[in-house]
Amino acid sequence: MREFKIAEPRTMDELAALLAESEEPVAMMAGGTDLIDELKSGVATAGLVVDLRTVAGLAGITPEKDGLRVGVMTRVVELAEDAVVARDYPSLKEAALSLATPQLRNVGTVGGNLCQRPRCWYYRDPQVVCRKKGGFNCFAFQGRNKYHAIFGGSGCFIVCPSDLAPALISLGAKATIGTAKGDKVVALEQFYAPPEVDVTRENVLAKGQFLKDVRVPAPKAGQRAAYVKLKERGTWDFALVSAAVAGVVNDGAFAEIAVVMGGVAPTPWRLRKAEDALRGKPVSEALVRQAAEAALKDASPMRENGFKADLVFAALKEAVMAAAA
Amino acid sequence: MQKKDFTDIGDGSSLYMEEARGQATRAPRPAQAVPSKPAAALPEAKAPEYKYIGKPTRRIDGREIVTGRAKYTQDIKLRGMLIGKILRSPHAAAEVVSIDLAPALALPGVHAALKLAEGKVRYAGQQVAAVAAVDERTAEKALALIKVEYKTLPYVVDWERAREASAPQVRDDKPNVEKINEYVRGDIEKGFAEADVVVERTYRTGFEVHHPTETHGSVASWEGDHLVVYDSTQNVHGVRDGLARALKVPAANVTVIKNYMGGGFGSKLGLNEQTVVAANLAREIGRPVKVLNARRDNAVCVGYRPSSHQTYKVGAKKDGTLVAFSLLNYASGGVGAGDDVAEPVVDVYKCPNCKVEEHTVYTNVGGSRAMRAPGHTQGAFGLESLMDELAAALDMDPLELRKKNYSTKNLGDTGLPYSTKGLDKCYELGAKAIGWERRNRRPGEGNGSGTIRRGIGVATSIWFGAGVPGTLADVVLYPDASVEVVCGTQDLGTGTRTHMAVVAAETLGLEPNDITIKIGNSDYPWAPSSGGSLTTPSVAPAVRDAALKAVERLKALAAARLEVDAGDVVMADRTFSSKGDPAKSVPFAEVYRDLRRETPFHGERSGMPRDQYAFNTFGAHFAEVEVNVETGRVRVLKYVAAQDSGRIVNKLTAESQVVGGVTQGLSAGLFEERIMDDATGNVVNPNLRDYKIATSLDIPEITPIFVDVFDPRINNLGVKGLGEPARVPSSAAIANAVYNAIGVHVREIPMTPKRVLEALKRKEAGS
Repeated sequence: MREFKIAEPRTMDELAALLAESEEPVAMMAGGTDLIDELKSGVATAGLVVDLRTVAGLAGITPEKDGLRVGVMTRVVELAEDAVVARDYPSLKEAALSLATPQLRNVGTVGGNLCQRPRCWYYRDPQVVCRKKGGFNCFAFQGRNKYHAIFGGSGCFIVCPSDLAPALISLGAKATIGTAKGDKVVALEQFYAPPEVDVTRENVLAKGQFLKDVRVPAPKAGQRAAYVKLKERGTWDFALVSAAVAGVVNDGAFAEIAVVMGGVAPTPWRLRKAEDALRGKPVSEALVRQAAEAALKDASPMRENGFKADLVFAALKEAVMAAAA
Repeated sequence: MQKKDFTDIGDGSSLYMEEARGQATRAPRPAQAVPSKPAAALPEAKAPEYKYIGKPTRRIDGREIVTGRAKYTQDIKLRGMLIGKILRSPHAAAEVVSIDLAPALALPGVHAALKLAEGKVRYAGQQVAAVAAVDERTAEKALALIKVEYKTLPYVVDWERAREASAPQVRDDKPNVEKINEYVRGDIEKGFAEADVVVERTYRTGFEVHHPTETHGSVASWEGDHLVVYDSTQNVHGVRDGLARALKVPAANVTVIKNYMGGGFGSKLGLNEQTVVAANLAREIGRPVKVLNARRDNAVCVGYRPSSHQTYKVGAKKDGTLVAFSLLNYASGGVGAGDDVAEPVVDVYKCPNCKVEEHTVYTNVGGSRAMRAPGHTQGAFGLESLMDELAAALDMDPLELRKKNYSTKNLGDTGLPYSTKGLDKCYELGAKAIGWERRNRRPGEGNGSGTIRRGIGVATSIWFGAGVPGTLADVVLYPDASVEVVCGTQDLGTGTRTHMAVVAAETLGLEPNDITIKIGNSDYPWAPSSGGSLTTPSVAPAVRDAALKAVERLKALAAARLEVDAGDVVMADRTFSSKGDPAKSVPFAEVYRDLRRETPFHGERSGMPRDQYAFNTFGAHFAEVEVNVETGRVRVLKYVAAQDSGRIVNKLTAESQVVGGVTQGLSAGLFEERIMDDATGNVVNPNLRDYKIATSLDIPEITPIFVDVFDPRINNLGVKGLGEPARVPSSAAIANAVYNAIGVHVREIPMTPKRVLEALKRKEAGS
């Protein structure tokens, strides 16, 4: 582990100033459940670690008139246990509960989950210098890639490890980005950036910026949503494939629908072709199969992850059926 | 037959091998003639009734363990102790051109540094150099300062590629493929010609890593010319002997201590490199040194269960009578030899004709080590899966097929008679407990057409576990009526102290908590390694023997006091009294006082008639699963493990052993797999997040059943081993349940969603 300094800013202004002025590589620490591992193994080499736990105003779930505001330092357990979340956004609750283990949910935060670095085993190996770490190769492309991306890989085949992101994006959430010059609001979907933008990062946060909160719009009349996570074991597992479906159901058909998947692409993956196939037609298994097939036209599986294509259908079916039920 | 790496260290685990392989080595030998003198008929042996033996007894050290007071090797802190760390090769194959320790030694706080590698390194993770420093941070920094110049060499870590002629040669002394086992009995050509049905299948098992909760570690301290080592080991005597050889000091000058342990599963049977490093650093500096493995180290350099690639052919008559078996296996154990897996096919079922050929494939990966039932676990998966596919081909109940070919002698009913074999009872009680009649009559049929399919499967095990004659234990009686039992065995976490206390208390008319147990020290009387399911059938009879001698002395003393014959003295309620005249009695306290000084009684585990009988343990496991045919996810719903391990000493810890064995087999059957990357030469999942072990949510209700078949010849208590028998058939039973559920055999473990989905595609394609 390389030595680093720790800063404990008290306010968001202090935080923004600190991030903008730091001359060393900065790592923001939320719950720290994963960052500490990265620092110890040497995969992350921050000169300055900024502890967000001391910053006032970053935590908490606040119902507002146009929806719900969730501060980034809200712990995952709080999201999973929140009564408003349970009532208005059951798919978000499901996503929170599916994540990691009780111990990790007690410490891990919403912001930490949304900004978690990839779990790609080449990225996590301190001996490997892959493209994400400034090297020239994606080792997964030719190597062991059972857990890697089937969509959107472009020189880097990581998958977005977040469970909350697909659920939040399907619900139309927006992200507030704090900067020294004031806040900026973007759709959460636009918060994530594919490898072709900057292979060393997974989101649009520029130097001096931090994720402040996510805002989930108030549920529409007739809104239905579901989150399905397929994994290998019962708990403490990242998604092989996860599916978040949200929309408005009228007479057994989705009038509006959003489908977002985790575990399949470097970013939370919006399946617009599946949405188009599902929209306005009576839900049936055959329709879901058509939708999955339409979406899978964009898939390019590698040697060991072709089974994820089957799981795209399985997850989509379970989520669509659960949401439409 | 080739012995495994860990015996080459010459660490005393050869005794484990003697027991574990003593019978296994029969496999490669030509078929043994049935002994000329017929074995005596089994005497009408009835097990005596006991107060504690066979009943559940809580661990006498349970409170210490759960309150954190029990000291594990990692907890040991000695005055002036330094921290040692080992630098490991990042390359799978390289020439070490030079090692420069000077920059590390120049760092303040660093006390010593050693070069450990010379010439070639053959796997990523192999030790190259070591340092000792005042603390972990300093030691880590020092490692980073060591300058090693490597000249990288071609390597191969993919065992299938290693078989190709173009693959780099891993070892200088031999080609990458080497025959490790062959065996023939009868005439398989003739056998297959007589068969009505022939089934040929290939089954594969992956690389399973031991990953004990407590990683390997040692603390070494020199007191003058005497070395004391605290080591996380399954074998204090073996490590002592190994250290003496490695350091060129007399064995009498080495003491190895292991008080508590967080598991080993076979990876801690021998002397470890880090122990030698700790001892050498400590000797050089003159201060104690602790070296602990990190989790990553445990994933790359202290062994794993080797893979297997088993191709079987079986021939049977229409009625299920087996007529021929053949097995061709390729194992891979990295730079060391893999396991031979043939024992189940050679032994379990009655079959006159059998042919086996096994090879190991060398790769640039750390050597494998014995892992909980080495060879048998892989072999049981292959053989038992084959039996179910044969049953389907014959349209027969898989359990009936097994019963049809039941053997009472080893080597497929052609060798020595089993002293006892309670497998039939295991089948009967296990089938009843799982509800065998609920299974699908044919694989994949009769359980609906939804996404969830259910099935039930069975698998059989055979293992050794007879114990080692010559194991020693002392019972020491004190004049104040306290009792100590001393034995140089060790507790891996299975409850050794408690079973010893149970046997001593039972024999001496005391309670288990009255007994002070001293184990885990190589200065104590000799006991074998705790591997091969040896501990209880070696140690318990030795304790029993010593305690019986102690009782004899106590009765003689009581007889003198009571002025009766020793034969007239009975022991009950902490009192000795006269059988003839119950009014004559004397309490324990007074008789013990008559000893006048502490008095040791030496016990020894006696021999058994191995020239006339085979001594084995058996089991039948039953699993019920549900499989989601769209997600490929397998869930085990219910599990029954019926074991014939002779007389059970402590039912509570025995049940824990079974639950642990089943859990480990479930985990290996569904999740666990070390994944190597040929591009980097490294393990890609050297941690507990990506190397997936079953979590509590994955474990179903597990019902252990002990059939309690009493073996009067094996030892003075009729006990056999249990640790490995509980592990042997568990992956296989689950695989067969999955087959029963979905109608296609996955044929490879772990049965991940990917493999289940691939098997279903194979079914769709109709192959």
